[in-house]
Amino acid sequence: MSRLPAQPGERIARERVVRFTFDGHPVEGYEGDTIGSALYAAGRRTFSRSFKYHRRRGLMCCAGQCPNCIVAVDGAPGARACTEPVREGMRVEHLNATPGLEFDLMSAVDRFGGALTPPGFYYKTFIRPRKLWPVYEKVLRHAAGLGRIAKVHPDRQWQTEYRRRHTDVLVVGGGLAGLRAAASAAELGADVLLVDNGPRPGGRAIVDGHHGTAGHLHDKAVAAGVEILDGATALGYFDGLVPVWQGSTLHQIRAQEHVFATGAVEQPLVFSGNDLPGVMLSGGACRLASLYAVKPGNRAVVATTSDRGLQAAIALRKIGVELAAVADLRSTPGPPADAVRKLGVEVLPGHTVVEAQGGKTVAKATIAPVQASEADGGAPPTGRTFECDLVITSGGFVPAASLLVQAGAKTRYDSQRGHFALSDMPKSVHAAGEVAGYEDADSLSCSGKLAGLAAAHALGLGNPASRKAADELRERAATATAHPAAAALPPAVCGQGASKCFVCHCEDVTAKDIRQSIAEGYDSIELCKRYTTVTMGPCQGRMCELQSVRLMAQEMGRSLDEIGTTTTRPPTTPVPMGVLAGPPFEPAKRSAIHGRHRELNANVMWAGDWRRAYDYGDPEAEVLAVHRAAGLIDVSTLGKLLVRGPDAGEFLDRLYPNRLSNLKPGRIRYGVINSDAGRIVDDGTICRLDDDTFYVTTTSSGAGAVEEWFSWWLTDWGMRVYLTDITQGLAAVNLAGPKAREIMERVTELDCSNEAFKYLDGKRALIAGVPCLILRIGFVGELGYEIHCPSAHGEHLWDALLQAGEEFGIRPFGLEPQRVLRLQKMHILVGQDTDSESTPFGAAMPWIVKLDKEEDFIGRWALERYSTESASTTLVGFTLSDGRVPTEGSVVLDGGQAPIGQVTSSRFSPVLRQVIGMAWVPAGRASDGDTVTIADNGRTLQARVRTKPFYDPDGEVLRS
Amino acid sequence: MSLEFLDASAAVKTEGFSPVARSPMERRARAAGAQIEERGGWALAVAYAASEQEAQTISHAAGWADMSHLAKLELQAEPDVVEAIFVSNPSAHFELGTAHRTDGAWWCPLAPSRLLVICEPSRFASVRRQLEDAVGAARKPVSLVDVTTAFAALTIVGPLSREVFARFSALDLRPHETPVGAVRPGSVARQPGVVVCEDEDRFLMLFGWAVAEYVWRQVEEAARRLGGSPVGIDALAPLDAAVEEVGG
Repeated sequence: MSRLPAQPGERIARERVVRFTFDGHPVEGYEGDTIGSALYAAGRRTFSRSFKYHRRRGLMCCAGQCPNCIVAVDGAPGARACTEPVREGMRVEHLNATPGLEFDLMSAVDRFGGALTPPGFYYKTFIRPRKLWPVYEKVLRHAAGLGRIAKVHPDRQWQTEYRRRHTDVLVVGGGLAGLRAAASAAELGADVLLVDNGPRPGGRAIVDGHHGTAGHLHDKAVAAGVEILDGATALGYFDGLVPVWQGSTLHQIRAQEHVFATGAVEQPLVFSGNDLPGVMLSGGACRLASLYAVKPGNRAVVATTSDRGLQAAIALRKIGVELAAVADLRSTPGPPADAVRKLGVEVLPGHTVVEAQGGKTVAKATIAPVQASEADGGAPPTGRTFECDLVITSGGFVPAASLLVQAGAKTRYDSQRGHFALSDMPKSVHAAGEVAGYEDADSLSCSGKLAGLAAAHALGLGNPASRKAADELRERAATATAHPAAAALPPAVCGQGASKCFVCHCEDVTAKDIRQSIAEGYDSIELCKRYTTVTMGPCQGRMCELQSVRLMAQEMGRSLDEIGTTTTRPPTTPVPMGVLAGPPFEPAKRSAIHGRHRELNANVMWAGDWRRAYDYGDPEAEVLAVHRAAGLIDVSTLGKLLVRGPDAGEFLDRLYPNRLSNLKPGRIRYGVINSDAGRIVDDGTICRLDDDTFYVTTTSSGAGAVEEWFSWWLTDWGMRVYLTDITQGLAAVNLAGPKAREIMERVTELDCSNEAFKYLDGKRALIAGVPCLILRIGFVGELGYEIHCPSAHGEHLWDALLQAGEEFGIRPFGLEPQRVLRLQKMHILVGQDTDSESTPFGAAMPWIVKLDKEEDFIGRWALERYSTESASTTLVGFTLSDGRVPTEGSVVLDGGQAPIGQVTSSRFSPVLRQVIGMAWVPAGRASDGDTVTIADNGRTLQARVRTKPFYDPDGEVLRS
Repeated sequence: MSLEFLDASAAVKTEGFSPVARSPMERRARAAGAQIEERGGWALAVAYAASEQEAQTISHAAGWADMSHLAKLELQAEPDVVEAIFVSNPSAHFELGTAHRTDGAWWCPLAPSRLLVICEPSRFASVRRQLEDAVGAARKPVSLVDVTTAFAALTIVGPLSREVFARFSALDLRPHETPVGAVRPGSVARQPGVVVCEDEDRFLMLFGWAVAEYVWRQVEEAARRLGGSPVGIDALAPLDAAVEEVGG
């Protein structure tokens, strides 16, 4: 155990022990521990195996940035042990090692496979013999990846909750700057939301011993009304929308002003053996010690480029870590060097670590003057070697600016700081703290306050005093950023020894790989990224982008600005797919009568966005019931529009090819809606209710599009017409069959005789006590009444009609019987019997186009042309004598077996006792009695053409 | 020919027929344990649990009540006519996004040329008469349509009501953005909807009649996670006098 005595600000609760397993072995930690800290305290040093070479990897950043400690928790891969809190009974397992973490067969790739695994090796090594590629591919796919997802894993199923949140100011990052920004904006009256990915806000301040200040600022923010989401990671910036992942919730945050206080990421140094367990960033070691009271090692070598490494050395010495040597790359180390020397530790100016050696963990490290290692360009390092079990490195800091860049901020290489710093900021976006170049606690806090005030002022909040304060802070901030703390710029590669120098720990990309990539012509950072996969791993370039750019610049003799950076894209942090999937929104429309269909055991299917009754168990019997007695179908799904106003008739005349302005009140006319190109887009009926009011029905699936189409033209024409879509407001049923009239007489006082209520009449009456609009039309070919009533009475109407029809043998019928019935009448279904090329002329409906209308109408120009040209194909009916029903979509062949048409509808008609259908055939074969050949799944069928309806061709039944 | 076939309240009891208007969410309400009563021609979910329990839900979490029976009238006309009719109400000020509450009805300007008036069924006749009188006086083309059954409705009430909405809607319902009396057309559960802030922590949400079951499920799933439950219409407090003055 390497647990330290209680540390000020530690996160663990020592009185509460948490037990879990790692690879089946029991481990104990404390509440507040991470998996990483508990395992480290228990003596574990190897946490994972690397992606490609299967090298041992241990804790490095302890901040959830690097890939070194990725494990599976309760079967779910991808958790970072260094940030994932321990839970009682959790099952933690290693990834990417077989048979185990300590002995991994695939680590042979590291020892023997170097020549076989250069960058892009799968394009080079495994391409011959070509026929073996499928085998190679399988092996490579099996070997690649970080963990396996079980196909069935019931205890891993969860549903993400989406929460949408609007806020005036969103602050991302809960360090000193973020907390201060949030509190400042909230104190001026802004609605502020702060998200922080730590278990509680405070950021680096807690690690650096400023937990008191952090706590005070936290309380201040809360008191000012700031909502704080901790353990919450901002995943990206999408035009102002910031998704934030917090456990099982995905917050979709829309803010007017954004403050990013996302901090900076400590950079590793590139040297031989820099990935050995025990090589750790200074921040990582300090986090282990201060947050979790875990001693990171016994004897350390420290290599730094700034005061931060020196401060870490002092902190480590305080907890009993022996310092073997401290290398400061600067020729003149900063003030903390004196404190280090006072501890009796030698500080070596101008030196850095050039090699780490060891087996399971680091055992010794070599420190050398940086000039020597740079000059010899990869020659074995010369210097002093120290035995140690810990190598602390600090290669500078890079602003964590991914979100800012996604928001539109620009970066430019800052040679003084040695990294890409923010240059231009977009409107409504503010940066605060380390990401903006502030370093010490005072300037962090100052920049946070400034950002908070600026955000509030942008919202129109604040007062003269706050504006004056902002001006003063701006001056102080400018001074603070003008003089960054002294830091040395590390060489691209500090030293190259026997072992590999890793630029990218996630993807196992070495300095040699980058050099080879350049040599092979991949000489831009974006090409190099795609070729070597550098920056494409779980860290998303946070810990390797600068190193790879620096190396490319050195190798190519260019500046870092010339090399540039890769593009940052969301998500900025790996996120489970389940989090993004979210809860399903599958809106289903149901008619007001839907419940009755369920009770009648209807087979329900999707029809567009509606749930509809397909049949009630026996579609054939339902067809026959309509012919012999009566049937009742729910047609509430029909689109229904009220078109009202003095210009309503003229408006419809312009939209339909036939004439509607001369329709008498109480009469109905069929209409087809054409596109500008004269193609059929929808159909339905139009009933004139009074001089200024028309009731228009459309197809079920076309309702929305027709309403949009009408609205669009109405806006353009500016006529005195008002549209109201009442599709969902009215239930509708079609009562059809020879007994329909008798049934009607039992539910209404309306005179339903043929003389009083003719075919194509529309009347208003009470049906079973409910106010209804009754349209005498017949889509299914029998005497029929389409009855429309308020949706709230739909069930009552349905029940009343079924009850009244019971003695006559009425049956409810569904969509499938309706399709058979309408096919017998050769009534088209738009979208099934027509396509985007179908015109009324081709669809055998030339009678509906009234070219003698005075008014212009949509599609007129095209229809005039079609009227003078004979259509190449025509929609006709057909019968088949051998009883086989061709598949809808089957091809109609010409004599030479070339496709010349297609079957659009086909069914067996139980009343006609034969197969009937509709098909597009060449105009020359569209006469009654012509035969056409249909090819259907290898069968050839001979069909006989028919141009008139199969059932009641003269419409006598309909009109009776 | 009139548009009476759109009017659910025009149903009459005759010999052999007793039509009762039903909400599209009645089955859901029954499944959730609703006590259904017939009032004013509608079958209404008046309660689900003891009144104290429902009051607790409303005061500590979020409750939702089926208000589909509310009468709704849509008026369309040229903008100047719509505004003139709107401001014919005493102290009404026409502003898109702000509803006017008067005499038990919400007058919601949804667009310059479109007004939606929502009221209790008991107020329907008088509100319609008022509108018809205004239409008659307008001397310009006006369309007045009963859209009661085109829109189902839920009232979501309680301190967590905004959090319930946040689970299925991106509407900004924060008090300073959507104060009492604000009307917000927008997407609810990815369907077109209209939300009226009726009172502090109380929202009336309108949506398509045919998607009501689906919307109920979305609301139920969101609210139950937050400790909410359905409440009967009797659990809703009458909108107070202060709200009546909204828009004045």
